[in-house]
Order: sequence, then structure tokens, then C-alpha cells
Amino acid sequence: MDTVSADTPEQIQLPIGPSGAPEMPAQVTPPPSTEPEASDKPAQSARAGAPRGATPPAAASAPRPAPAAPARSEDRIPARIVLALQGVTKSYPNGRVALRGVDLTVPDGDFVFLVGPSGAGKSTVIKLLIREEIPTKGSVLLDGRDLARIKRREVPKIRRKIGIVFQDFKLLPNLTVRQNVAFALEVIGTPHREIASAVDRSLRVVGLVNQADQLPSQLSGGEQQRTAIARALVHNPRLFIADEPTGNLDPLISWEIIQLLLRINEMGVTVLMATHNAEVVTAVRKRVVALEDGRIVRDQTAAAYEREA
Amino acid sequence: MFVFIGFSIRRAWLGFWHNGLMSVAATATMVLMLLLLSGLLILLTGLDATLKYVQQEVQVMAYIKDSAPGGDIASLQDSLAHMPQVTQVTYVSKDQAYKDFVARHPDEAEVMKSLPTNPLPASLQINLREPNDYLDVASYLNKQPAVDRVLNIKQTVDQMVTIIGVLRTAGTVILLVVGLIVLFIIVNTIRLAVVSRADEIEIMRLVGASDAFIRWPFIFEGGFVGFLGAAITIVLLWLAQGPITGFLSEYFKVLPVEAGTAVGQNIALIVLGTGVGIGVLGSYLSVRSYLHR
Ligand SMILES: Nc1ncnc2c1ncn2[C@@H]1O[C@H](COP(=O)(O)OP(=O)(O)O)[C@@H](O)[C@H]1O
Ligand SMILES: [Mg+2]
Repeated sequence: MDTVSADTPEQIQLPIGPSGAPEMPAQVTPPPSTEPEASDKPAQSARAGAPRGATPPAAASAPRPAPAAPARSEDRIPARIVLALQGVTKSYPNGRVALRGVDLTVPDGDFVFLVGPSGAGKSTVIKLLIREEIPTKGSVLLDGRDLARIKRREVPKIRRKIGIVFQDFKLLPNLTVRQNVAFALEVIGTPHREIASAVDRSLRVVGLVNQADQLPSQLSGGEQQRTAIARALVHNPRLFIADEPTGNLDPLISWEIIQLLLRINEMGVTVLMATHNAEVVTAVRKRVVALEDGRIVRDQTAAAYEREA
Repeated sequence: MFVFIGFSIRRAWLGFWHNGLMSVAATATMVLMLLLLSGLLILLTGLDATLKYVQQEVQVMAYIKDSAPGGDIASLQDSLAHMPQVTQVTYVSKDQAYKDFVARHPDEAEVMKSLPTNPLPASLQINLREPNDYLDVASYLNKQPAVDRVLNIKQTVDQMVTIIGVLRTAGTVILLVVGLIVLFIIVNTIRLAVVSRADEIEIMRLVGASDAFIRWPFIFEGGFVGFLGAAITIVLLWLAQGPITGFLSEYFKVLPVEAGTAVGQNIALIVLGTGVGIGVLGSYLSVRSYLHR
């Protein structure tokens, strides 16, 4: 949060604008470090951060714009907590217990590494967050809402608060980079005229403007993952989840992806990244939550990652 | 809403061509079924109209002996006209019968000309107030020396009713079977479409597409197969209009000419409704069973 990669000021300056999901207030508030950059375009920043129908003047006159997220009536915990797992146990139908009594709270704007050996339950945490699974015991709260309680038809709305990427990039092979990114907006009913600009913004953030019209097969692994990241960002999510995003990439490219995720975090998006890549976690001094056999064995801020024996 | 419909139609269109061979096969079977349906409808319409005509118009027909003197015929016609059960009596002479026959069967004109004498009898065509009065009039006619034979139209009518009934039942059964086959093919076509787009569907779910955005394109695709099948069928029927009308006027001579267009419009609507209906139903069933959750 406190470092700015000086070589990419322009990209930092492009918080994802109002787009895809108008019902979701954009959580992007300019991080302190970007303030000098943003100050030459203050009007644009204010607009970018305001939800549709909100009053920009009020936000601008507020002494500290940080707690700009409007409190919602249905919130049961403060709005600044993006996600919370409370005593979560998950056993799969085949009897496998993937999580045992997990408690985890992630505040808005946090960057969290979820580490642990294969089979520790990292992907299960993520499946619970996108409500692909529901917990056997305990509750999973996203943006203050209990995911086990929401109706089936509300699941898509929850998913629009989240951007997600995986180890396999899940790109559509017959669509270009631009079309792949636009697809995420088309399928949630975004009007055509809004799509192009949102896609351009997203491609600029990941630095793929020049490859926009190439097919995934014509890209390197790192570029494919950046396309997936652009697609996950294009609808302006509040929470960005990456499940082993560097699992298929060599160390140098992995490092670039991590840098990109850090930049996205600097734009105000909460990031949760599952990985077993020790080097990366050690080098980046961020919060580390370690899972082992379904239990949280360590939760440290700015910690170095040591592989448990 | 606008965005949604545009999206669904665009994806349905792409999906149709993406799965080209299967879509074409589904459309072709759809056309076959709809042609069968229209054929049956046309045949039944013709038979029904003939039946109505026969029931309403000429109810008793008496063939007159060639040897009967003209005076007898005139007095017979007169006394029939005075019977309370009879509304109208028409005399068709041998010459008239010959002309009518040649007009209706131009192909056989040569055969008729080659015959030494006119084989067709003169006849009296009698309209009744009530079809049930048939026996009274027939027995009266049978007693007349001038009358050669009374045509039992009631029997003909009964036969026609039976034929129409059998045709209707058999046709309905065949249509149901063919319809089920077409439905099955549509279900499978859409199932293949769903399977071939599993990746897209997974991504749609991940980025928060609603169920409607995921499902409706497939239902539109099924509806599109039905619509295309119906359109092709209607074009084929329109091209075959001449021969069909010829067939109808040949075998059901009594069909009024203007009935043709009305029947045509009805059949077009039924074909369209059935095609789109089966397409939508098939894809709905498919989407429901292969796109759960
Ligand atoms: N769908 C599933 N059905 C049954 N067991 C599962 C399923 N998904 C994961 N598991 C099991 O749950 C445990 C945790 O898996 P996972 O969350 O994928 O771990 P990680 O992502 O840390 O490798 C493993 O033992 C795995 O075999
Ligand atoms: Mg995993």
C-alpha cells in the first residue's frame, strides 16, 4: 500500500470507472500514495468513486473520503469488512472434511495470501466465497451478507462483487482478448455503449492494449493470465480472488502477476490470493493466512512465509 | 430488456451455426414433420368439405332408365317437388351428365368419345328438408318404373364419416409419434449445444450472469430451429400450391375456390405455431435437465 511502482503511474491513475454493475457502489477510493497523481484530475476521481445516484459534492466535502462506503441497512457487520468466515466447517458429500472451524476476517482494502500445501482447503475457502459451495457449519459473510441465506437468484449479484481468476485461465479460445474481457459485461446485461470504454480501461490496467485483438492462442501464459485478470476487473469488483494464479507460470512472469495484483490492491480492491509459492509470499510483505488440513495455523501481517514441516 | 433480447438472439444465431450439422438435421426433420402435418390437414379439410357438401346439397340421387319416356320423368319430377320432405328437384339429362363428366375428367374425354353410345344415365337430384326423410323418399322412388336405381347417399356419407374418422385417428397417432421424434431430436440438439458451450457457461456463472442470460439463448436457438423449419415448410407448400389446388379440385370437386386461401392461411399459422412450439418446448426441456443449478 505504501509503495508506488514509479514506472506505471498512468495505470495506477486508472481506477476502474463506473460500469457493469451499477447496483454496486464502486469501492475505489484513491489510495493516499496516488493522491498527488490524482490531484490533477480531481473531478474524474470523484466521479469514478461515486455510485450512480450518489451525490459527488457530499463525498467531496467530507473531510476524509476513506469511509465513503455507504452503510447498508441489511449489514450485520460494519461495511468495512469485505468478507468473514465464522466457525466454518465444510465437509463434502463424500465425507472429506476440507475445513474445520475456520475464522477469518478480511477488511476492505486488505491484501491476503492464503497459503498451505495442496489439499489444505484453500480452494474450498474460495468456493465458499463465490457460493459454489455452502458451509456445513458456520457462516460465510460477503459484504455483510450471509451467503447461506441468500436466494438462488441472488447468487449472480453476489458474484458481480467478485472478480476471480484461476490457475487455468478459463479464456474462451475463439474470442480475442478484447472479446474475452467484454464477454463478462455482455452476459450481465451491460448496455453496449458502456462496454467498450470499460474494456479499454481494464486492458490498460493489465497492460494488454496492444494485444487486444489477438486470440488467447497467440499469447504467452503471462499475457493469458493478464487477460483473465482484465476480465475479472472489468465489472468493477469489490473483492478480487486469485486461486493459484501463478501455478502455470515461470517465476519471472509470476512476479509480474503479483505486481499487477498489488497495483489492483492499491486501486482500492481487496485481494485474496491462494498460493503455495513460498518465494512470492516471502518477498511481498503482506498478510499471510496459512491453512493446514482445513485449519488456520497462522495469520500474520507482513510475515515471511515459512513452509511448515 | 432490450440488451437481453439482443444478446439472446445473437447467441442463439451463433449457436445454431456453431452446431451446424445437428441444427440442419433438426431443421430437416422439423420440415418433414410439418409437411406431414400439413398434408394431413389438407386431406382432412378436403374430405370434411366434401362431406358437408354431400350432406347438405344432394341428398338423394335417382338414376333414370334410358327407356323411360320423357312424360314420366316430368310427372315424377313434379310429384317429387310436391312432397313435403323435398326442397328441390333437379333433372340432369344424359347429355348434361356427359358434358359434366368430360369437364371434370378431361383425360378421359377420348375414351368417352370412342364409346358408341353415351353410357351415363340421366338423373334426378333431390334435396331434402331433413336427412332423416331419406328412407321415405327412397322407397317412393324405388317404386317408380322410370327409376333404375336410387343411389344410397346415406351409405356413402356413412362411409366417408368412417374414412375421415380413421384418417383423423391414424393421422393424429402418426403425427404424435413423429412429433415426439422431432422433440427428442431438438432436446438432443440443444443438449449438444449446452455441452459444447460448457466453458462459456462456467465463465458466465463466475462473472455473475443471471440464469436468464444463460438459459434463454438456448431456448431461442430451439425456437429458431422451429421457426426455420416452419418457414421452409410454408415456402414448400406455397411452391406446391398449384398441384395441391389441382389435387383438391380433382378429388374434392365441391370445394369452393375461395376456401383455398383461407385454408392456406390456417395451415401456415398452424405450421408456424407447431414448429416454434416444439422447438421452444424441446429446448426448454433440454435446458431444464442439462443446465441445473
Ligand atoms: N468437490 C469435492 N468433493 C470432495 N472432496 C473435495 C472436493 N473438493 C475438494 N475436496 C477435498 O477437500 C480437501 C481440500 O481441497 P481444496 O480446497 O481443493 O485444497 P487446496 O485448494 O488447498 O489444494 C482435499 O482433501 C480435497 O480432496
Ligand atoms: Mg486448490
